[in-house]
Amino acid sequence: MSLQRIYAMNKRYFYTLIRSYDRLSDMFYWPVMDILVWGITGLYFASLSQNPKETTTVLLTGLIFWVITWRSQYEITVNLLTELWDRNLVNIFSSPLKLSEWITSVIIYGGTKMSISLVFSAATAFILYKYAFFQFGAWLVPIFINLGITGWVIGFIVASIIIRYGLKAQTLAWTGAYIIVPFSAIYYPLSILPDWAQKISLLIPSSYVFEAMRQHIFLNTISADKIFVSFALNIFYLILSILLFTFAFKKSKQKGLGRLIG
Amino acid sequence: MLNKVLEVKNLTKQFGDFTAVDRVSFSLNEGEILGLLGPNGAGKTTTIYMLLDVMEPTSGQISYFGKTFKKARSEILKRVNFSSAYISLPWLFTVDQVLSIYADLYEIPNKKKRIDKLLSEFEINHLREKEVNSLSAGERARLLLTKAFLNYPEIILLDEPTASLDPEIAVKIREFLKKEQKEYKVSMLFTSHNMGEVEEMCDRVIILNHGKIIAEDTPENLANQITVSQMEILIKDYKKAEEVFEDQKIKYKRDGSMFYISVESKKISNFLTMLTNNKINFQDISINKPDLEDFFLKVSKGGLRPGGRL
Repeated sequence: MSLQRIYAMNKRYFYTLIRSYDRLSDMFYWPVMDILVWGITGLYFASLSQNPKETTTVLLTGLIFWVITWRSQYEITVNLLTELWDRNLVNIFSSPLKLSEWITSVIIYGGTKMSISLVFSAATAFILYKYAFFQFGAWLVPIFINLGITGWVIGFIVASIIIRYGLKAQTLAWTGAYIIVPFSAIYYPLSILPDWAQKISLLIPSSYVFEAMRQHIFLNTISADKIFVSFALNIFYLILSILLFTFAFKKSKQKGLGRLIG
Repeated sequence: MLNKVLEVKNLTKQFGDFTAVDRVSFSLNEGEILGLLGPNGAGKTTTIYMLLDVMEPTSGQISYFGKTFKKARSEILKRVNFSSAYISLPWLFTVDQVLSIYADLYEIPNKKKRIDKLLSEFEINHLREKEVNSLSAGERARLLLTKAFLNYPEIILLDEPTASLDPEIAVKIREFLKKEQKEYKVSMLFTSHNMGEVEEMCDRVIILNHGKIIAEDTPENLANQITVSQMEILIKDYKKAEEVFEDQKIKYKRDGSMFYISVESKKISNFLTMLTNNKINFQDISINKPDLEDFFLKVSKGGLRPGGRL
């Protein structure tokens, strides 16, 4: 692997960020809007609840944690789409850049951008609602890693579809991650899902993290088992998703990457 | 002995039942400019995409410097580059940003110096802070060429590099390419629809049609395969000329006093003697010797089949 080529691709996506209002608004505007709307909604529900503080915290924490997964997925897929929109795919993949270097680049770049979005969201929630994001202490690190990896898994699955079918599948970049939302139990306990949905949830790594999150909010403790199961599932899925993307890339090359840019 | 830098053997690309490239074999020598010509849909772009490793061949072998993509992809592509009129660059970036990214992708040492030199060569130094989307087609083509020469390529694939350039800039680009060939022995695979340009630039030409190589030779030798010259003769006494041509069974087309006649190149002097003997005075005459374009047009119309002659 060449660090200079990985640096080049990070620079390429950073320039896209600073030269595109779309990307800047993705990074800052939407998280603020979400926190504003859900925060107020949380305050309203809290006024009807027996546990007002916890109700608001569950909503805001769920929202901010979901930003981690969603941003991680989005960065991988939208950076691939950027190469299609810019008709630049042939340029970069006819250069010495290896697919593994591109994958590493989008993970590093996406991880950095997601961290900035996360800090910004947490700060916004603190300013608006005195929400203490750091109440999770050191648990934030494994939570952060697990939710980030879940996002990458979905990101590579969606990227596999886009590299195979091109721009006609581009809507998945925005909607792909939401397929796991009902099963992740972000804002509600897993137990209220129907049995069949709970069985699916057991296969979704983020569901364990959100259960652990609520456990911490209500009982001030976290089950390490949940975090570990989530991590094990994540690593397994991440390997599979990268293999799937590599396979889809090879299949796409059989038809020619040039066809994807018209 | 010529040093082969690129060897293609039995390269084939099939899309279902359709064969886009059919057992194509050729080589490119060090410092050679090889023209890859053919009508639209002949398989040129498919071949170039396979040579850039952005399309997987169905079968056959591509080796650069004796190495294959399977074993040395990054090593090969560090020494190869390409420019195509049909590929774009990130359109929101400035010229400087685009080149800086590609210089890093190709791991160019002293990238600033190299970028400065090429921007001056292609006369787009003043555009460094401009966004790609604000460039004219000609400026964009020169930016693509700048990108293509960033890594001191030993082999460069040029897909219609001068399309959309004005004639003055096109001449400069051709001079630059010739200089790179002469001074640094850069090998080039060159496609163009400008046959005059191909004749000027290429040491050798391959013509593809229906995915197969149907001709391969120097531009001169290919042109020489056409034996008929086109004559344009202005004859005021056209009625007398028509009588003579019909009497002699010479086929012609006439527009006013201008006659258009196809004559075998080696029989031109006999034809002119015949005009003199019949006391036909012409006021103007032009003889268009067959060139690569004539050959190409003949081939495009199906006048030549693989392995055949005209």
